[in-house]
Amino acid sequence: MNAAVLPFLLPLFTGTLTLFLGKPGTARRAFLVASALVQLGVAAWLIAENLAGRPHVLLAGGWASAVGITLVADLLAAIMVALSSLTALAAVLFTCFESRPRLEHPLRLPLVQFMVAGINLAFLTGDLFNLFVAFEIMLIASYALLTLEADDWDIKQAYPYLAINLVGSTLFICAAGLAYGLFGTLNFAGIITRAADMSGDPRILVLALLLLVVFGTKAGLFPLYYWLPNSYPILPAALAGLYSGMLTKVGVYVLLRMFATVLPHDLSGVHQLIAWLAGLTMVLAVMGALSRNFIRGILSFHILSQIGFMALAIGLFTPLSIAACIFYVIHHIIVKASLFLVGGVATVLNRTDDLDRMGHLWRGTPWVGIVFLCQGLSLAGIPPLSGFWGKYLIIVEGLRAGEYILIGASLVASLLTLLSMLKIWLAAFWSEPEGVAVRVDDWRWRPLLGVVGGLTVLSLGIGFGAEAVMQVALRAAQAALDQPGYVELVLGAGGKGGG
Amino acid sequence: MIGPRSWIFQVVVRFAFFIINVFALYLLLRGHNQPGGGFIAGLASAAALILLSLAIGIEALHRLIRVDPVRMAAGGLLLALLSGAGPMLGGAAFLTQFNWHLHDLPLLGELHVGTPLVFDFGVYLVVIGICAKIIFVLVESTEGLPGLVVEEERRYSSPLEEPIEERPAAGKEMGRDAD
Amino acid sequence: MQIETALLIGALFACATWLILQRSFVRILFGFILLSNAANLLVLSMSGRPEGRGAPVVGETEMPLVDPLPQALILTAIVIGFGVTAYLVVLLYRLFLDQNTTSVSEMYREEEGE
Repeated sequence: MNAAVLPFLLPLFTGTLTLFLGKPGTARRAFLVASALVQLGVAAWLIAENLAGRPHVLLAGGWASAVGITLVADLLAAIMVALSSLTALAAVLFTCFESRPRLEHPLRLPLVQFMVAGINLAFLTGDLFNLFVAFEIMLIASYALLTLEADDWDIKQAYPYLAINLVGSTLFICAAGLAYGLFGTLNFAGIITRAADMSGDPRILVLALLLLVVFGTKAGLFPLYYWLPNSYPILPAALAGLYSGMLTKVGVYVLLRMFATVLPHDLSGVHQLIAWLAGLTMVLAVMGALSRNFIRGILSFHILSQIGFMALAIGLFTPLSIAACIFYVIHHIIVKASLFLVGGVATVLNRTDDLDRMGHLWRGTPWVGIVFLCQGLSLAGIPPLSGFWGKYLIIVEGLRAGEYILIGASLVASLLTLLSMLKIWLAAFWSEPEGVAVRVDDWRWRPLLGVVGGLTVLSLGIGFGAEAVMQVALRAAQAALDQPGYVELVLGAGGKGGG
Repeated sequence: MIGPRSWIFQVVVRFAFFIINVFALYLLLRGHNQPGGGFIAGLASAAALILLSLAIGIEALHRLIRVDPVRMAAGGLLLALLSGAGPMLGGAAFLTQFNWHLHDLPLLGELHVGTPLVFDFGVYLVVIGICAKIIFVLVESTEGLPGLVVEEERRYSSPLEEPIEERPAAGKEMGRDAD
Repeated sequence: MQIETALLIGALFACATWLILQRSFVRILFGFILLSNAANLLVLSMSGRPEGRGAPVVGETEMPLVDPLPQALILTAIVIGFGVTAYLVVLLYRLFLDQNTTSVSEMYREEEGE
């Protein structure tokens, strides 16, 4: 039963140990890579256990779910844990190949481990307050990483990130307090049970809206996303891959968990609101992307635009659209992380990611171009790449629900995504300006491209094996939407001091 | 600290330092069943450290405390984690606690000990370590000394880039969006 | 007590919001500290009727007990708030050192002049 805590414990343990044992070096890196591989293995095992019909529940200290901390590793949580372990592995490998140990900041990789611990805890937790703690672990680590290697100009961009997240966290505590006042418990299973008796109570609606504000901020939904596009570009590529892949997706996951599993399913007004906010996010963010002129800036806006697709899927709120959302999250995390990393490779080669001063990449290093093309087109949703299937399902469900305006918006957003990908492609890969050199002699780009290549192969695999992945996503969605099943799973675990 | 230090203050603080730390230990040990525990004990000890740094100056304090505070915090975290993860080896749930009530001990008589004490001690070390690090960095940089150790010194965001040339272009770009 | 607590929470939130929207770093810092205190107070005021919600370690007792959970939550929130506040202090201090100003508006104005 302890398996559910391993995805939290392993990175925390690794981070602490590397902090304790001191300075960067080859041995420390080997240890970190080995630990990341073990974490990935544990996550894969958890998925396999879930597919075999054995979700894991851990009651910390043996206390019953009503009085203690519960960790639940159901299929959705296990998938998310696997994705975060994968991105963390990519970030660690990228850092290792990016610089010699002497140049590595001693706190970077331990902090990455702490952040992954927080992210995994957010996926696994079975109560609202523990979710808050998980968010804080993740956010404090992310604040530190954001400013760790920042220079005078970068540090200014960190302030809005901190400020908005502090306000978000405060609202989160308030929401947790109000939920406790309302339901008398913070455990998800307890909330489901109590909320079933309070059907139609307007206070649940207020709570749902408050939670939407909190997690919408973290995920980057429409009115509250301005903090993201300015803060993410200051990160080094390895970390930007991890941030862009995971942090906002934690927000999406929690929105999914809250609205699909925890809160009653009859909040159709809130679902409608999420769908409309999602539509606005998609279109406005992709326009922001067109306005930027450097790779990381463009990609940062794309994160938001894609968040719009996922939130739209949540807003449609049918079993198939929830499954489409899960599929989309799987696709998006891998593609987005690898796009940021391939941007990092291009930066190594051109020594800048300002599009005005890039060029010659296609001629100098065609494989970088091929990887970028695969992932960029996948992000835009060109069949048969992985991005297409998620979008296709969301659009089919949207048409079935009669949301023609939102579907139109999402198609426009996809087209504009393609346009801004072409912008990067034309400027960095095809243009051949004077005075721009491709540093092919820099040994680093080959292993770095290898890391991205691995992610690309995986994402191509998702695209071509979409049927199998979709089956898993459907099962995860079914399990997430099955409120009585969740309650039975958690309460069935027993424990002392309950009742 | 700038300016001459008060001799009276120094002597008082040297006494107070030990008294506060004994009190912190008391808070740590009673934390299992009564108000107290690792966190506030750590804060009390950290307050004593602040007093000491005011009295004898930060450089003297550095000479006094040879341990790297970050490493101390990491060690504490490790201890807390191990106390939580230890029971897992025996098949019990994560964070399960075990307590023993001992009788007929020499000098002490009865004693109630348990694994939560190990956890609390870990928390105590984490809090002292982190607070000491914050104090050192802040006091040193306000005194014009370098606040961070050499490896922690800031570097430009990535060794991949040559930032001096890059900044203005990217800066202007984002500056336009920021207002 | 309910009304007074609610009013106090409202006043704290209002002050915190006002302070955060100021330009000076110090006021912003105080604003965030107030904000976290207001939230903690809100959680405390959510303590429901204590019956049947005693700490599971206590067992049956005649003594009047309070609802322990909100207090545990606040303790956690205070610890986290402590860490975040320390980070905020250091960040603002570094911003002051790097940008030579304690005003948010000045900090971002320089950028336009470049």
